[in-house]
Amino acid sequence: MKKMKLLALAAAALFAGSVAAAPQVGQPAPAFTVKDSTGQVHSLQDFAGKNVVLEWTNHDCPFVVKHYNGNMQQLQKTYTEQDVVWLSVISSKPGSQGHIDQAKSDELTTSRGAAPTAVIFDEDGVMGKAYDARTTPHMYVIDKAGILQYMGGIDSIPSAKVEDIANATPYLANATKAVIAGQTPDPAVTRPYGCSVKY
Amino acid sequence: MWVMRLITTLLCGMVLGVSPTVLAASSGWQPAKHLQAELVSEYQTVQPGQTLQLALHFIPDEYWHTYWINPGDSGLPTSIAWQLPTGVTAGDIQWPTPQAFSIPPMMNYGFAGPTLLLIDLTVPSSYSATTLDITAKVDWLVCEEICIPAEASLQLSLPVSSSAEPSVYGQSLVSQAKARQPQTLAITGFYDIAGDSFSAAIAGLPDDDFQQFFVSATELVDHAAPQHVLFSEGEWLLRQKLNTYFTHAPTDFSVVLVSANGQSYSVTLQAAAEAAVVSSPDASQQALWLVLLMAAAGGLILNLMPCVFPVLSLKALSIAGNTGQQQQQKRDALWYSLGVVLSFVALASVLLALRAAGTAVGWGFQLQSPILVAALAYLLFALGLSLSGLVQFGLGLMNAGGGLTQQKGAKGAFFTGVLAVIVASPCTAPFMGGALGYAVTQPPFLALLVFVALGLGMALPFLLLAFVPGLAKRLPKPGAWMDTLKQVLAYPLYLSAVWLAWVYGRQTGIDALALLLCGAVALAAACWLWGRWQLRREGKADAVFALLLVALALSVLWMATPKLAENSSSPEVTQTHWQSWSADKHAALLAAGKPVLVNMTADWCITCLVNERVALNTDSSKAALALFDVTYLKGDWTRRDAAITAYLHQYQRDGVPLYVLYWPGQPAEVLPQILTPDTLRQTLERLSKQ
Repeated sequence: MKKMKLLALAAAALFAGSVAAAPQVGQPAPAFTVKDSTGQVHSLQDFAGKNVVLEWTNHDCPFVVKHYNGNMQQLQKTYTEQDVVWLSVISSKPGSQGHIDQAKSDELTTSRGAAPTAVIFDEDGVMGKAYDARTTPHMYVIDKAGILQYMGGIDSIPSAKVEDIANATPYLANATKAVIAGQTPDPAVTRPYGCSVKY
Repeated sequence: MWVMRLITTLLCGMVLGVSPTVLAASSGWQPAKHLQAELVSEYQTVQPGQTLQLALHFIPDEYWHTYWINPGDSGLPTSIAWQLPTGVTAGDIQWPTPQAFSIPPMMNYGFAGPTLLLIDLTVPSSYSATTLDITAKVDWLVCEEICIPAEASLQLSLPVSSSAEPSVYGQSLVSQAKARQPQTLAITGFYDIAGDSFSAAIAGLPDDDFQQFFVSATELVDHAAPQHVLFSEGEWLLRQKLNTYFTHAPTDFSVVLVSANGQSYSVTLQAAAEAAVVSSPDASQQALWLVLLMAAAGGLILNLMPCVFPVLSLKALSIAGNTGQQQQQKRDALWYSLGVVLSFVALASVLLALRAAGTAVGWGFQLQSPILVAALAYLLFALGLSLSGLVQFGLGLMNAGGGLTQQKGAKGAFFTGVLAVIVASPCTAPFMGGALGYAVTQPPFLALLVFVALGLGMALPFLLLAFVPGLAKRLPKPGAWMDTLKQVLAYPLYLSAVWLAWVYGRQTGIDALALLLCGAVALAAACWLWGRWQLRREGKADAVFALLLVALALSVLWMATPKLAENSSSPEVTQTHWQSWSADKHAALLAAGKPVLVNMTADWCITCLVNERVALNTDSSKAALALFDVTYLKGDWTRRDAAITAYLHQYQRDGVPLYVLYWPGQPAEVLPQILTPDTLRQTLERLSKQ
C-alpha cells in the first residue's frame, strides 16, 4: 500500500514534469526572448526566414575548449557567411563556471577569433531549460520556418581530446548543411556530450 | 600523501637503478588534478595460461566523482586503451554499482570516494617472456561542479614464472572491488518503449526490496525523471520517462537494481517485442518476396489442417479414379488451383471492400458468425454421412457446393478448390496471422498478391501430383480399396464437424449447442430418407420429408443462435471485470448509451501489462467501474488483429497500449499511455460531473 502511494506520487510528479514539453525535432522550436552580451533583445521570431544554429557554451569547460581550438570558430565563420544566425548561449548561473560579463565576452570573442552572430546571456536558464540543453557544447539547428531540425552533439566522438575531432562524424556541420539545402538532417537527434550546463 | 609515496618509489627506483614499477603489484600512484590513480595486479608474479584481475584504483578529492558506463546527462565514462604483449588480452571494465548525482535539472551516474574498476587479463599458456609489461592509457573525466578531463599512462611490469604469486595488496583491492559490484544474474528481463516511457519486467530476482535502477544504455531513460519500481505477480516492474535524446532502442543492455539495504544485481534486458513469437513489429518492413513465400508456405501447410484434409481426401479419390488420363488430371489440377486462388482472392476482396467501407473486421470474420459455423458443421457432417454410405449416389450430395465438387471435369475440380478454401478458413486465422496481418495493412494490390500466394501454396500438392507423372503413377490402382478408404475418410469429416460444433458451442452456449446437435440428427434423418429415395427412385414423400428436415435443421439455428449468444455473455462478466472487445459489441454498447472503457493490449506489451496491474486490475478501479456502470472491453492485439488495427488508426495510433473512455454525450476521451492507480477513477469522476 505504501508502495502504491509512492508510485502515485512519483506518477504525479512525472506528469507535472512532462507539462514542460521537451523539444522535438520536426516541431516548432521552443520560443525565447533573451538579451545578448550588448543588451540587445533577441526573439526566435526575429529570425524567421533565416536558419539558426544554437550553441550552448561555457568557455572554461574542457569540451568547449576542445572545440574552440579552431573547429568551433571555423563552423561559425562557414555558416554565418551563408546567412545562418549563430547564437552562442551561456546558461551558467551567476557565480558558476562560464558565467561572464560583456567585457569578458568581448575579450573571449576577440582572443579566440570566434564569429557568432551574438552571444546570449541566459543566466536564469529559462532558454536552456526550454531546449533541455544539458551539456556544453550542445547544438541545435532551427530552419527558416522556425522548425527544430537538429539537436544533440557537435560530433560523434564524446571526448575532451582535440585529436578526436578529425576522426569524428561532424553531426552539426552535416545537419546545418542539410538544413541550408532544405533537407532533413540525418541523424536529426544525437547524444550531446560535454560538461553539464551550470544552471 | 601520494607525493610522499611517489618520492619513496622514485628514490627506491633510483637506488636499484631500475624502473620504479619493477617487482611491484602496483603501478604506483599517478597524480592528477583532483584525483590520483593507480593500476594494481591481483598477482605480483604471474604464470602463463593464467587469467588474473587488474584493478584501476581512483581516489578523487572529496566531492569529486568519475563516471559510470552510462554517465547520465553529462560527463564521460572512464575508458582504458591497453598496450599488451602479443597474445595477452584485456576484457571490458567491470563497473561497481553506480551512485546517482542529482544536479537539477540533470542527473549523473558515477563514483565518488575510492573507486575500483576491475579488468580481466588473460595470459596465453604459450607466453614465454620473463616479464609481463602492461601499459594502460586511462582517460577519465573528474567533476565536482566543474569538470576536468585527464589521462594517464599506468604501467605494470610483472615477473612471469611457473607459479603465480598473489599480492596481498592486490588481492585485498580486488576483493573490495568485487564487493562493490552488482551481482550479475543469469536471467533476462524484457523491456519495451511505448509513448514516452521505458518499461521493463524482470522475473526471477532474489527476494528483496528493490528501490532504484540504473540502465546501462545511454540516452534511453530520462535520468532525472522519477523512477517507478514495483513488484507484482512475481515480477519486478520498472518504468521511467524516455530520454529527450532517445533515438533507437539498443538491442540488449543491462540494468542494475539496487535494494533498500544496498544489495545490487545486474540483469540483461531484451526487447519484449523481439521475444514475441507471433507478431514482430518489423512485420511491415519485411521484404515482399519473403511475405509471399511465407504465405505460400502457409497455404501448403493448410493442406494438413483437419479442416481441409477431408476435402482433399475427396479430391485424392477422384484423382485416383482418373489414373491413366494424364491430360484430364492436369486440367483438373489447374481448375482446382484456379478455384482455390479465386476463392482466396474473392475472400480478400470482400475483406478489403469491408475494410474500405470502414467496417472493422478481422480475418476469420466468416467464423465470427455462429450461423456460418453451424452451417459448416452440417455440411461436413452430411459429407461424412455420404462417405459412410448413408446417401447412396456415389459421392454425390444434394448440397449445391458439395454436388458441384463431385461433378466430373473442370466444374467439379474448380468447386472442390472453392470448397477447400471455405472449409480452410477456420484454420487460416490462427496459422496465417502474420501474413494476413501484413496483407490487411497493405494497399489492396499487395494484399491480393499475398492471398494469391496463399492459394498457390495450398494448390501446390495437386499441381505436383498432376504434373509430375512419377508421383501420379505411384498412386494405387482403383479397386475395392477405394470403397474402404472412402468409408474411413468419413471419420476425419465427423471430427471436423465435432470441432466446428465445439467452436459454435464456445460462441453461443450449451443450449444452442444442443439445438445444433438436434439439427444434426434431423440432417442425418434427411440423408437417410434421401438415400432411400435415391435407391428406390420412388416415394416422393421421402424426398419431400428429407428437404423439410433440412429446413428444420437450418431454422433451428436461426431461432436459437442470436438469443442464446446474448445470454451466454453474462457469465463472462461475473468471472472477470472485462469482456473481450469486438466492434459490434462496442457499437451496441455505445448505441445503448452506456459508458465504455476500451483497452487495446497485447501479450508482448510490457507497458500494457504494467498499466493493467497498477491501474486497471486494482480493487479501486474495479470498484470505480462498477460504481459508474462502465463496461470494460479489452482487445487483444497480440496477433495483430485487423479490426483492432483499424480501431487504433481511428485514434492515430499504430501500437498498443490505447485506452479510450466513452461517456454518454461526450467526446471519447483518450487516457494517457501511462496510467496511475487514480487515473481511471479521477477521469470517471470528472466525466460524470460534466
